[in-house]
Amino acid sequence: MDYSKQIQEIASKLFAENKIDYFVGYKQNSFDDSQVPFLITDPAEIPKLVFTDRSVFNLANYLKPDHTKRKRVGLVVKGCDSRALNLMLTESQVKRENVYIIGICCEGVLNEKGEKAQNCVECVMPDPVVYDEMIGTPTGKREYKVNVDIRELATKALEERADYFESIFENCIRCNACRHSCPLCYCAKCCLDQETSTLYHGANTSSGAMHALMTWSLHLAGRCVDCRNCEKACPSHLPLHLLHKQNESVIYENFQQHLAGMEKDDRGAFYKYSLSDPDDFIL
Amino acid sequence: MARVGVFVCFCGANIAGVVDVPAVVQEAKKIKEVKIAIEYKYVCSDPGQQMIRDAIVQNRLTSVVVAACSPRMHEKTFRKALSDAGMNPYLLEIANIREHSSWVHQKDKKAATEKASDLIRMAVAKSIANEQLHEISVPVTKRALVIGGGIAGIQAALDIADARIPVTLVEKSPSIGGRMAQLDETFPTLDCSQCILTPKMVDVASHPYIELIPYSEVIELQGYVGNYKVKIKKKASYVDFSTCTGCGTCTQKCPVKVPNEFNMNIDKRKAIYTPFPQAVPNKPVIDAEHCTMLLKGKCGICAKFCEKGSINFKMVDEVIEREIGAVVIATGYDLWDPKPYEEYGVGRYKDIITSLEFERMVSASGPTNGVPVRPSDGKVPKNVVFIKCIGSRDEAKGIEYCSKICCMYTAKHAILLHHKVPDSHAYIFYMDIRAAGKGYEEFVKRAQVETAATYLRGRVSKIYKKGDKLMVRGEDAQIGQVVEVEADLVVLATAVIAPKDNPALARLLGVSYDKYGYMSEAHPKLRPVETAKAGIFLAGCTQAPKDIPDTVAQASACAAKVCGLFAGDTMKKDPMISTINNEFCSGCQNCITVCPYQAIVTEEIPLGYGSKEMRTVAKINEGVCQGCGSCVAICRSMAITLAGFTDTQIINEIVAI
Amino acid sequence: METEVKEAQGKIISAENPDITAPADWQPVIMGILCNWCSYAGSDLTGTSRIQYPPNIRIIRVPCSSRVDPWFIIKSLQTTADGVLISGCHPGDCHYISGNYYARRRFLVTKKLLNFVGYHENRIQFSWVSAAEGPKFAKVVAKVTEDIKKLGPLHRYKKENF
Repeated sequence: MDYSKQIQEIASKLFAENKIDYFVGYKQNSFDDSQVPFLITDPAEIPKLVFTDRSVFNLANYLKPDHTKRKRVGLVVKGCDSRALNLMLTESQVKRENVYIIGICCEGVLNEKGEKAQNCVECVMPDPVVYDEMIGTPTGKREYKVNVDIRELATKALEERADYFESIFENCIRCNACRHSCPLCYCAKCCLDQETSTLYHGANTSSGAMHALMTWSLHLAGRCVDCRNCEKACPSHLPLHLLHKQNESVIYENFQQHLAGMEKDDRGAFYKYSLSDPDDFIL
Repeated sequence: MARVGVFVCFCGANIAGVVDVPAVVQEAKKIKEVKIAIEYKYVCSDPGQQMIRDAIVQNRLTSVVVAACSPRMHEKTFRKALSDAGMNPYLLEIANIREHSSWVHQKDKKAATEKASDLIRMAVAKSIANEQLHEISVPVTKRALVIGGGIAGIQAALDIADARIPVTLVEKSPSIGGRMAQLDETFPTLDCSQCILTPKMVDVASHPYIELIPYSEVIELQGYVGNYKVKIKKKASYVDFSTCTGCGTCTQKCPVKVPNEFNMNIDKRKAIYTPFPQAVPNKPVIDAEHCTMLLKGKCGICAKFCEKGSINFKMVDEVIEREIGAVVIATGYDLWDPKPYEEYGVGRYKDIITSLEFERMVSASGPTNGVPVRPSDGKVPKNVVFIKCIGSRDEAKGIEYCSKICCMYTAKHAILLHHKVPDSHAYIFYMDIRAAGKGYEEFVKRAQVETAATYLRGRVSKIYKKGDKLMVRGEDAQIGQVVEVEADLVVLATAVIAPKDNPALARLLGVSYDKYGYMSEAHPKLRPVETAKAGIFLAGCTQAPKDIPDTVAQASACAAKVCGLFAGDTMKKDPMISTINNEFCSGCQNCITVCPYQAIVTEEIPLGYGSKEMRTVAKINEGVCQGCGSCVAICRSMAITLAGFTDTQIINEIVAI
Repeated sequence: METEVKEAQGKIISAENPDITAPADWQPVIMGILCNWCSYAGSDLTGTSRIQYPPNIRIIRVPCSSRVDPWFIIKSLQTTADGVLISGCHPGDCHYISGNYYARRRFLVTKKLLNFVGYHENRIQFSWVSAAEGPKFAKVVAKVTEDIKKLGPLHRYKKENF
């Protein structure tokens, strides 16, 4: 998967036709074969744009700042990124006319070890769901599978799970990089903020981190698109996907196979209901 | 520093018999913020309240906790006590140590005492975060809008107007009267429908507090309870009502004949017409779909003969705006089209008619001058078969529900048939006879005995033609045999359905509707007249099938609700509603989705202080918000606060134990 | 899920962590969050009918079950409570029309998430109790209390830990 050429062509065209003020894509990292997000305002830098299976980040995150709401942006999105963007559009965070979306039919990106990333192996929608221009051949929606880690943990005893999560969240340093990297975490006030989380969860303790992150994951439940930006950003390498995928699997199973951001104007599973939702867990 | 006063009630032996009140008071005194803790026999009594008032003043309390019975019992009493002492009444918290402790843990006094202490600790912790709240007053525009001029709309309009509240009555067709005007006589007393209805219609036209806008539709509603703005489209009638005398010459001279919908298309009307002789207003309108002058630019005969020169072919639709405070929806009902009953030959056999067609025929002012005739040959029928539940209670072809009125009007039709054609005989196929109502069962008996109508319990399977007769084959379940009846005329009691425009109107007004298209009431038992949207009420069949007495009762109930709403110059509202801090609002608008009352709207605010750029945030309309807190719980950025139940208050309660 | 009471040397052991024990006469604290219109009224009726139930529940009044943010549940378990009971109007009876439907979705996901990270699912319970169901409220509280007693104390994430 190397779409660098196509992206460069589209970017030149957009700048030439004055359709965009800036362009967000990927650039080769200078010291290894990884890539970093790359924002250009100068067409001279277009040749630096690349797209390969190392283009891991969700660039929709760069539409969060206020100034992007007024500028016209060209943006490269993969399948999962486009779902996040779809939600941002639905939630009025991005003006559709301000963003020119280049959707990539993604073949999966690699993790740090050079293997196909877990979320790509389990990807349900590799094709962009919202785009102005599409690159690659769409392969269609795939069958939903419950995350392998979730399935494995579910078989473990309660005590083991409790131990495991306690040991994980001990490492959280409350830097909130997970939140900053998430395209759907654009709130001005957050449950992870020091001020609020002190009130709600107790600040710098394992217990505080765990409960704060659980609340955070519930804010993303039914909205998380499994791009794993949060996990990539986490300096402590916490497996944050466990919380999100757990919520996703419950929602998929119980609420009409809901998956976040697949359709326009779908706000997520918590903002609608069905009369036939499960009721058997209620006394 | 908070200064909390705790007042623990003995409630006679109700609390003190189980909970060790002095111990609880000692526990309460240990709480840092508690300035004073007192026990008293009956805190709700006058001396008890006086004790609270004195304590507030003497100790400069910042909040008060009363540990007594349920807040659902005496919250108002104690709030008033706080008010009387010059304290904001919403600084009160109640610890429910009677219903939640002494009464339910009578055998475990120690645990009950501990629990009471915990409940007080929670209430103290919550009360520390209590804020001063003030009753909200919302101004009201004292004018009601009634949509629909059938009996429901007429009754509601008259009742409201009689209370000297101006009413705007909007009717879609050229005349008010609705379905009831089409009826001949009404069950169970056989009053002449026109005779009881037309005086009310005239009252509407002449009432000083009623503004009647016929031939018009509501196209837009904005605002909230007490402060709605409505746009009404007045369709072009091409007749200047201010000069027209209603002499009727134009209708006589008009050469164009059109099926008469008022008479169920049995006869014809003209292209310029008044729907029926007693119409109110009794002024003709031109049917633009059929008038040759309007279609082809030729004719204009009506204009030539009009002495007053009232005809104006250049008239256009007009939009009228009104400011109103409340809305009554009374759009009535439609009848189900029995076409899916192919096995009955509906559409093929002319002598199968619907009940309303029969009703028009037996009406003295109807197309056949009150005598039922066969549409095929104009002969007076002798054997008439009535089939009930056509479409009703029929999931396969029609709708699931019972239309409620068919049993009664079919009995009425049998009696009317007997009156009009004494040597005739009525056969009635039915599933059940549902005659619940004052005088209803007796009325059905009257049809069965006096009229000697033959009631056959069972469904009709087939109707076929034999000569000029219709053979009706059905089952008589009571004898368990197939019966065949030779009929001159078959009358189908078609189901009552919601008007097809109801969903569109409901969306326009912002009220909800059910899967059949009926408007949804706020609560099926306790609020059957209100919609979920404050200030919008339902009368008659727009909510569900109903007979005339029920419709009139509901219309009057609407009027009472409207009058109650308009009783003061402003409406007082509980201040325990949500507010949005737009500094933190990210404008995702998810709260708008979950709000059951459409109380949340968007507003544009400057991006920063003095900025010309705008951003969109949500705003709560305090006139509409009912304080459920749905929006608060889903607001991820914690921008929404529900007064009285803030996050801080609830968390304080949780961590207080 | 049925659980056996874990006891050792006259002490009750936490279902989540064998290191956490409590004396045999230990009583759990249950945080009850009730909607004002149905369940709170129902619990009042339990009182007026003098139906007895275990004294472990501490009741918080909210206007509607939809007011219950999941972190009220999380916070309760993290700090003071050994279990949580949330109760609202029966589906279709919500005083605020649709509040309990939204709440129901959040509750299911929250319950499963908490269970996933190591809380026994019986610690997080929900019920629909109408204003007329005084006896039902007593039964629900009795059941929930009994379930949570079996699970033992939840000291893992208690106040004193931070």
